[in-house]
Amino acid sequence: MPAITRRLAMRLALRLTAASAAIAAFAATPAAADEAAEQYVQSILDEAAPMLQSGDQNAMLDAVAQMVDKYVDMRRIGRFVLGQYARQMTDAQAAEYYPLFERYATQVYQNSLSNYAGEPLAVTGSVDRSERDIIVNSKLVNPEPGSAFANAVIHWRVYHSRDGALSVVDAGADNVWLAIEQRSQFTSIIANNGGGERGIDALIAEIRARVG
Amino acid sequence: MKLFALIAASSLALAAHAQAAQLTGSGDPEVLAEELGDAPVEDASVAEADPWEGFNRKMFAVNDTLDRSLIVPAAKAYRAVTHKKQRKGLRNFIANLRTPVILVNDILQGEFGRAGKTTSRFVINSTVGFGGMGDPAERLGIEQHSEDFGQTLAVWGVSSGPYVVLPFFGPSTVRDGFGAAVDIAADPAIWIRTEPAQYFRYSRTGVGLLSSREPLIEPLADIKADSLDYYASIRSFYLQSRQREILNGRTNFDDLPDIGEFEEFDELE
Repeated sequence: MPAITRRLAMRLALRLTAASAAIAAFAATPAAADEAAEQYVQSILDEAAPMLQSGDQNAMLDAVAQMVDKYVDMRRIGRFVLGQYARQMTDAQAAEYYPLFERYATQVYQNSLSNYAGEPLAVTGSVDRSERDIIVNSKLVNPEPGSAFANAVIHWRVYHSRDGALSVVDAGADNVWLAIEQRSQFTSIIANNGGGERGIDALIAEIRARVG
Repeated sequence: MKLFALIAASSLALAAHAQAAQLTGSGDPEVLAEELGDAPVEDASVAEADPWEGFNRKMFAVNDTLDRSLIVPAAKAYRAVTHKKQRKGLRNFIANLRTPVILVNDILQGEFGRAGKTTSRFVINSTVGFGGMGDPAERLGIEQHSEDFGQTLAVWGVSSGPYVVLPFFGPSTVRDGFGAAVDIAADPAIWIRTEPAQYFRYSRTGVGLLSSREPLIEPLADIKADSLDYYASIRSFYLQSRQREILNGRTNFDDLPDIGEFEEFDELE
């Protein structure tokens, strides 16, 4: 199967499992592991699993929004996805942009999970990029044999703030990351609309049109 | 017949191989942040990654129209008339036909362990696997992997060159597009000018197109629905996944850009 096919399938896997729960061995055994971050991610996965398995669609969407609000550092991601334009944003634009970004990103998670089957995920290990920046890996616990996602590694990027608090700042599948993809979209929209403040205004308008 | 081949080719567009490095993030974050602060309004990193964006976007729109009007309806029809197991069998069969190209590239990259796996897969699946319709090799723990000449060039140190959207073939880079052409030319069926070879070629291309597009009907529709900029979204997915293919799964998280380690983020804490 061509690589992009697999990749997109992986993204589907990610979308399907973005907030789920629980075992396997990550191929490249990490040199450095971070237990606190691993436990943090596992607890999120455990908390999410029953919510995502409930049959009620609206309750599930609410649950996803709550989980995202509780664990995902939207402000940090919102700033990252602006790339170098983050510095060119005015205070007035920031006041408008961040709440809109949060609604947009939450909506993306909700759409992704609306067909979710609730298969549990388990943490398999972690890698420290730095002491503040940890990649936690997870896999499906009981993949359907032969499923495209059976060997997919779902990554969670955990940020360890100076005061010791943990938060999720990105999610990915097999080395394809969502926030990086979003940054590509956002900086592209800004650049194609004249860059700088004008471009940021255009981006804000696009997001507003999307979240209503 | 021409049209059919054309459609077949365009399917590959969406399902083509994949990528280069869009992950910039090098050097000291603070220095980088300073440089970014001084940078002109032009988005230097994006411009570098995609200097032919104007052309690429036009090609992307053409491919997308073809996809929507011809390929997706055909893929839906294919799904309607086949059973899940039959589709899986066909996917395996087509993947098995590609094994020789993968083997050549494994060897060219000096990946002899992987070359052995590729050979075992071909032998097992072509025999016990009913000519490639089944994948007993995978049950034995010999997993499928993909290689192409673009990846071989990358391993040899050729940089990707600009991102380019090829007509019909879709997302690529200069290096990977060239690699794809070499892989096609390396296929014996391309050079045999007999009628059966021609039928084989057309069928393989047509079935390959539908077979690779069919599982992507929903994922691509989802991505499109959620994207503010579908083109940039696909470009990023292509480049990120291509990088992973080239590294043959030897993950290197150091290449990721930093998220929230710039000093300017401290206000958030």
